[in-house]
Amino acid sequence: MTTIQKTDSRALLPNGLRDILPPNAAFEAATVESLLATFSGHGYDRVKPPLIEFEEGLLTGSGKATAAQTFRVMDPITQRMMGLRADITIQIARIAATRLADAPRPLRLAYSGQVARVKGTQLRPERQFTQAGVELIGAGGVDADAEVILLALEALGGLGIGKLTVDLNSPRLVPTLCAALGLDAAPTEELRKLLEQKDIAAVAALAGDKAAPLLALAEVVGPAETVLARLDALDLPGEAAAHRESLAALTRQIMDKAPEADVTLDPLEHKGFEYHTGNSFALFARGARGELGRGGEYVSDLGESSERCRGVTLYLDSVLDVTPRPGPVRRLLVPSDLNRDTRRALVADGWVTLPALGTEANATEAKRLGCDHLLDQTGTPRPV
Amino acid sequence: MGFDANNGTDKLVIALPKGRILKEAMPLVHAAGIHPEPAFDDPNSRQLRFATNDPDVDIIRVRSFDVATFVAFGAAHIGVAGNDVIMEFNYPELYAPLDLGIGACRLSVAETESLRAEDDPRRWSHIRVATKYPEITRRHFAARGVQTECIKLNGAMELAPALGLCRRIVDLVSTGSTLKANGLVEVEQIVDVTSRLVVNRTAMKVRSREMTGWIERFREACHDRAA
Repeated sequence: MTTIQKTDSRALLPNGLRDILPPNAAFEAATVESLLATFSGHGYDRVKPPLIEFEEGLLTGSGKATAAQTFRVMDPITQRMMGLRADITIQIARIAATRLADAPRPLRLAYSGQVARVKGTQLRPERQFTQAGVELIGAGGVDADAEVILLALEALGGLGIGKLTVDLNSPRLVPTLCAALGLDAAPTEELRKLLEQKDIAAVAALAGDKAAPLLALAEVVGPAETVLARLDALDLPGEAAAHRESLAALTRQIMDKAPEADVTLDPLEHKGFEYHTGNSFALFARGARGELGRGGEYVSDLGESSERCRGVTLYLDSVLDVTPRPGPVRRLLVPSDLNRDTRRALVADGWVTLPALGTEANATEAKRLGCDHLLDQTGTPRPV
Repeated sequence: MGFDANNGTDKLVIALPKGRILKEAMPLVHAAGIHPEPAFDDPNSRQLRFATNDPDVDIIRVRSFDVATFVAFGAAHIGVAGNDVIMEFNYPELYAPLDLGIGACRLSVAETESLRAEDDPRRWSHIRVATKYPEITRRHFAARGVQTECIKLNGAMELAPALGLCRRIVDLVSTGSTLKANGLVEVEQIVDVTSRLVVNRTAMKVRSREMTGWIERFREACHDRAA
């Protein structure tokens, strides 16, 4: 049996929190920058809201769903309760509705930052993680939905992630349909849960003679090319039909414009889309345990008049799981008295330069510090 | 380290529960066209993972509670699990698209006969229960305003009341003969139990065609058996 080196007990961190070490910290930062560069190139300007703000601000509108996940702390100055953000979307909506209320619409904003959650989930036990995303504020319709989805695919594709799956959803479809069928709130809630779990037998039992339209909807879960025709053929009443048309139009547009992605449909999904009012979506890739990101349409009523918004949030922990890692960096040991201009030129050349502090720059020291190269007498990097 | 939902390959992994349910599940697995290697039926084999006639499909055999966990975390893609297990874990990453109609029984509250005579459930504020299902038990009693202290046992629940560990149990009941033999009566049924085909949510999205194909094969197998 091999014995393992133990860490000092002082290194223990609270559940769900961790130190990210080299080279992972740099990998994450570079990945975030790559995503934001794509967002910026597509017209989304970066904003940076604070980590903590008054809880009323965080927990209104689309933020209500995060109330149970938000760490709170008393502000000793104002004696008001503050929340540590569990999601950034609501902060962007606040900025758009207040400080940027006069900016021309549609307003395109991008962000990245840390969020903290009181409790992790089974698949994402982390209580602090990085998010990056965009919000498209003051625009509605299928074209706006498609813009955000295609941008997310562009940004993830730019990282070299293999085949992506876009799962398209319409979280209002089931409740609208249940209301049209004359079902009350309590059975509707239970039916949504069962439909989400795809527990068709239980849905049939609970909905009784009203089950048929719900069961037909359950047949629309799967690869878009096979189930889209079934979606079109559904016999739906009024408002539900409008949701269906919007979802079908979005599906056609994504299939047409993003042939590199796999498109699946799931009109039964609503988890995490509680505040969404139109189409929504989640992004998946083989090899990642959960979603890479999700987003959709919601209405922000924080400003003087309500605005239609849509956005996407990417979860960096899942994204990093499937992002190809960069090759090893070239580390070069240089004499500590090396001329600054020479060192600057080496750094510009892509070298990571480490000075041999208090010792001679030799092969032994280079190996000890994990350098694969050593700057020799003639000023040329040589492998060690 | 990156998690790989495919175990480094594109193999599909099916998780089956050991014991009682397995015997009933196997005809459906066969009917769906999956035939495990001979070691699967060898009681002396220590093997846990088995190849099948389909080179892209492997079977693992684990405890019934672990089927849900393997599938929820994507370590297996498809599994067979009772809705008792599904309800106990309440994993959001688990879909249960098909009732296989096997392993039928019920999850019930049982207590000693003497207790039943003197007890008035409307006056409870706190009860102690021995069970393998602490989450379902807590939720069930919380819904009627009763706080539950659960003693988690992994088997032989029926012994607990007689030995004074607690006065009530929540356990699976099929014929009721085990309860009777231990001087217990079934006082309340929590839920009817049957086994479901469970699938991992992420696998359902990223391997959509393949997974819907398998669900369809199992659905036909169930249908043929019923016919």
